[in-house]
Amino acid sequence: MAHVSDLIAQDIGAYLKQHEHKSLLRFITCGSVDDGKSTLIGRLLYESKMLFEDQLAALEADSKKVGTQGGDLDFALLVDGLAAEREQGITIDVAYRFFSTDRRKFIVADTPGHEQYTRNMVTGASTADLAIILVDARHGVQTQTRRHSFLVSLIGIKRVVVAINKMDLVGYSEATFRRILDDYRAFAAQLGLEDIVAIPMSALKGDNITSQSEQMGWYHGPTLMGYLETVEVDQKRRLKGPFRLPVQWVNRPNLDFRGFAGTIASGVIEPGAAIRVQPSGRTSTIKRIVTADGDLPRAIAGQSVTLVLEDEVDISRGDVISHKDTPAEVADQFEATLVWMQDEPMMPGRAYLMKIGTRTVTATVTDIKHKVNVNTLEHLAAKQLALNEIAQVKLSIDRPIAFDPYESVRETGGFILIDRISNATIGAGMLRFALRRSHNIHMQHVDVDKATRGAMKGQKPCVLWFTGLSGAGKSTLANQLEKRLNALGRHTYLLDGDNVRHGLNKDLGFTEADRVENIRRVAEVAKLMVDAGLIVLTAFISPFRSERRMARGLLEDGEFIEIFVDTPIAVAEERDPKGLYKKARRGEIKNFTGIDSPYEAPENAEIRIDTSGRDIEQTVDEMMQRLRDLGILIDA
Amino acid sequence: MDARNLPAEELNERRREAVRLRLAGMTVAAVSAAVRLSAPTVIAAHKAYLAGGWDAVLLRRRGRSAGSGRKLDASVERRLLTAMVGHTPDALGLPQRLWSDEAIAAWFVQQGLPVPPRRSLGRYRAGWGLQPALSDDDDRQLHALMKSVAHDHDPFWCGSLPGTAAEHRHWLLFARGSRGQLHWSACQNPPDTDDWTRFWQRLAAERKRPVHLLLSGLTLTPGGELDRWMSAQTPPLSWTALPMSPTVTPAAAQSSNPPPAVTRSNAHVAAAPHHSAIKPRAPMQTTPEAIDPDTLTHLQRLEAESIHIMREVVAEAENPVMLYSIGKDSAVMLHLAMKAFYPAVPPFPLLHVDTTWKFKAMYQFRDEMAKKLGMDLIVHINQEGVAKGINPFTHGSAIHTDIMKTEALKQALDKYGFDVAFGGARRDEEKSRAKERVFSFRTAQHRWDPKNQRPELWNLYNARKHKGESIRAFPISNWTELDIWQYIYLQNIPIVPLYFSAPRPVVERDGTLIMVDDERMPLRAGEVPQMKSVRFRTLGCYPLTGAVESNASSLTEIIQEMLLTKTSERQGRVIDHDSAGSMEKKKQEGYF
Repeated sequence: MAHVSDLIAQDIGAYLKQHEHKSLLRFITCGSVDDGKSTLIGRLLYESKMLFEDQLAALEADSKKVGTQGGDLDFALLVDGLAAEREQGITIDVAYRFFSTDRRKFIVADTPGHEQYTRNMVTGASTADLAIILVDARHGVQTQTRRHSFLVSLIGIKRVVVAINKMDLVGYSEATFRRILDDYRAFAAQLGLEDIVAIPMSALKGDNITSQSEQMGWYHGPTLMGYLETVEVDQKRRLKGPFRLPVQWVNRPNLDFRGFAGTIASGVIEPGAAIRVQPSGRTSTIKRIVTADGDLPRAIAGQSVTLVLEDEVDISRGDVISHKDTPAEVADQFEATLVWMQDEPMMPGRAYLMKIGTRTVTATVTDIKHKVNVNTLEHLAAKQLALNEIAQVKLSIDRPIAFDPYESVRETGGFILIDRISNATIGAGMLRFALRRSHNIHMQHVDVDKATRGAMKGQKPCVLWFTGLSGAGKSTLANQLEKRLNALGRHTYLLDGDNVRHGLNKDLGFTEADRVENIRRVAEVAKLMVDAGLIVLTAFISPFRSERRMARGLLEDGEFIEIFVDTPIAVAEERDPKGLYKKARRGEIKNFTGIDSPYEAPENAEIRIDTSGRDIEQTVDEMMQRLRDLGILIDA
Repeated sequence: MDARNLPAEELNERRREAVRLRLAGMTVAAVSAAVRLSAPTVIAAHKAYLAGGWDAVLLRRRGRSAGSGRKLDASVERRLLTAMVGHTPDALGLPQRLWSDEAIAAWFVQQGLPVPPRRSLGRYRAGWGLQPALSDDDDRQLHALMKSVAHDHDPFWCGSLPGTAAEHRHWLLFARGSRGQLHWSACQNPPDTDDWTRFWQRLAAERKRPVHLLLSGLTLTPGGELDRWMSAQTPPLSWTALPMSPTVTPAAAQSSNPPPAVTRSNAHVAAAPHHSAIKPRAPMQTTPEAIDPDTLTHLQRLEAESIHIMREVVAEAENPVMLYSIGKDSAVMLHLAMKAFYPAVPPFPLLHVDTTWKFKAMYQFRDEMAKKLGMDLIVHINQEGVAKGINPFTHGSAIHTDIMKTEALKQALDKYGFDVAFGGARRDEEKSRAKERVFSFRTAQHRWDPKNQRPELWNLYNARKHKGESIRAFPISNWTELDIWQYIYLQNIPIVPLYFSAPRPVVERDGTLIMVDDERMPLRAGEVPQMKSVRFRTLGCYPLTGAVESNASSLTEIIQEMLLTKTSERQGRVIDHDSAGSMEKKKQEGYF
């Protein structure tokens, strides 16, 4: 550690003071083995004098034994020298390395250049303030340069250093440097990368790494280390954003203290500031910003703090605290960019867990708009996503959340997808904007709520969702059940498929998309009615599990009672009350459930009824008993 | 350090601080460095306090009354600063376009005040933070560069510094010529492109010859907008970007700000939360000497990240536990946990997997800490191992570690049903750890499957797992050894005394100094314990932990020694020498 050793030896206090004030820069290096990436990282470690003598001795010995530089120090060995490390076969391969100079501390995310590149690079880039893109001066801008730059822009890194390496092999030619730089700029403009600094260098020979190259007098710009030491850290930009704090943990050590702990994702907060809790929409004022070091007069993005509010507000993990006047958007459907990270492909319609900020919800990709060829940026149609593929998708989640577009706030716009069975992290994405104009609408908190209204009617509001084939007996049963409930003084409403299509949904046809929308509207109406305190009965074929799951997701636990009218298709077809089966068999109706469109039977319906050969009164008795068992029907 | 020029109030304040620090147990040398008073003065102040209380500490009135002497009158200095921060000299009707010593002198004349001597002006500048400096090497390089362009240009080294005058928050843009002459202007915020172009325009207008700029702290792109702007000037400005940036020299930084030790000890006196053994310190977030309040330092970012990780674990785990190894990394981790859940006590117990071969001082320290912090401490010993008489001497380090540590840890996790265990491992410790996740997954058999680890993006950690599976969470993954020591120093975190040098009985065995900590250590023929001044860089089982000869008996000395040492931290651990890639193997088996 020679460059600082004078200060360390003479005045350790001054040295520590200097080190205390260092800022932190996290960056990622992109490039393949041939670009000299390992050599560059090794060189930075070496030049920052972060190596101990035993490590240096090992390097010298290794260089002689297996080095590629004819006995000279092979810096690449510092980074990927150990056979054991190469062979350990970690699938997600991001190595983090550390060095510091007099002015700054650095964390380098180092991703190998070969297979699994996209997944690794996206992971490494997600925490980086800056990216170094290596270009071999002999080859200029290559396909992989474009791929690296695209991924860097995708993950939202603003600052890029184009390290035009191996200048020693092109005679330190200024013309070559200019040509590559022009090529690169033309390409980067398409990606929206703006802050680009190009540095001609030789990592191997040390030109323009820490000291100005004597070979390239024509270059007046900064050296690589000089630039890394002085470039403004990205963290500062986050201060200018709107205030966001995703609540991690509610701190309640005793009755007198209730604090909301979290890391500030964006912006600045001070006591006295008016805040809004999202998605609930409740408002309050910051009373204190608590830390173990004493209350703070001001806290900024990146700090982990505990907020105490003036009012008793119901807040739990996953909520987002925002400035009252610059709240996050609230939505449950989005357009997003998705990076797929596991072998098993992503299928639209399949449910995954999504973790965003501190909240975990259920998410389904409803549509792949297009996937992107990372090498050419071409848009391609796709039905599914394979490992390392990237796509623009529509995403639907089971309840509204507070979010920001990823470009505005990384922490409230970036998410991961988790497999519900294996628990593996299988994808990562960035929310771009909300669909269905749901943004800018914030939930208004009302004082008279569902429980109050339900209590007035002496009942527990819920939805009794009948599902089954056409002709299974859903409407008949629902009708009878409603009569029975009415006789007991319950307040009910029956939403029938055919009736709804005469009014609310008369603009919808029978295409797949229209059917999904049909059910979505019915589910939303049912939800409003439950909120109004009613017991709602719905009678729709609703053949797809995903739609029924969506409807269930709109309601609270225990409010959605799925009643599967399990009449075999032979029986239903024989009844054929509306003559529809005959038409379908003749080919006059397309997409008829049970004939040329599947019916996905419920796996865990709360109530299952087989109507074949049974008395209807008996069946209704049975349903009433089940409702009592489920605690829906409490006898007055 | 010449304190004679200081005003009496300043000196008195330093003397009081010196006494407080002495009372808090700091050595004379450390206090002297912290408050910048000579050692005899520190001793005298301390003695005066012991004899006559706080009043006796204060100085007797010196020759001249404060403010009447060579120092600038406070109100005049305020006026000058206001003029300087708000305006360029020409805007005040002075002939100069940028501030310089001449411009200051002209201002005094304009105000009808006596012009202070030249050399005093240098001191005022230093007080404002305007003392751009470079290390000797950098300075030589700068001079060489200046010389190379001097035949047809006036070279100026340009940079910016945060102003340090207490009542004005501002930034200073400066240009230093080849003979050291300074030109400067001030602005409210960190300078942007507009501030610089205005500054350079004014600088160029003051010079007859074309100006060549040597830029530090800001970077230009050849062909970029700013470069084009420079070329468009008449005569054109030329430039070179320097790899170095100016530093605020310690003298300048401290002349107007209290030294850090003083600030900390103030908070120390203030109050101590009754549940916490961690002595409160002035929060890093609001440290007055923080150079830019809008940029978190690397330690602040690391601290926030660690706290975030701990809270995520507690929010998502069913039954978390913190592995407590009593070493310095554990100490930092524990300190961070106290911060993460403040004012609550961390909602998990500490688990010490005891091999029964730790240093006595470690056991004592462990019990004191748990008691002080009010946390539950679970001590687990592999009783089967004890029954079999496993020990490092007869069974070797590999078997001893495997049975008493790795196996014991699995036993403890299973016995108490812990699903997430915090560990103090760091990525910089060793090459094989560079790729380790923050959340590291273990199968129900506690095995680490390299192929089955999850990507970690942003600060999103996936803590979901099946029944029986567990997670090792490493909240200090991104800390380096220096960060750990620096943090212990800044936050005054208690550590086991074995880290500090003291005379201890040791024998040299296989090239390693082993401390004879109790009577269980069998001495080989010819081995006689010798008293040597030694300390430990890492702590483990005493028969497996090598000591280093050292005189470092304070934290700063330890850090100094660590920085100047030439061998890496794990050299002292016998365990790593066993076989190549041994850490890797141990990790797969469940050891950290």
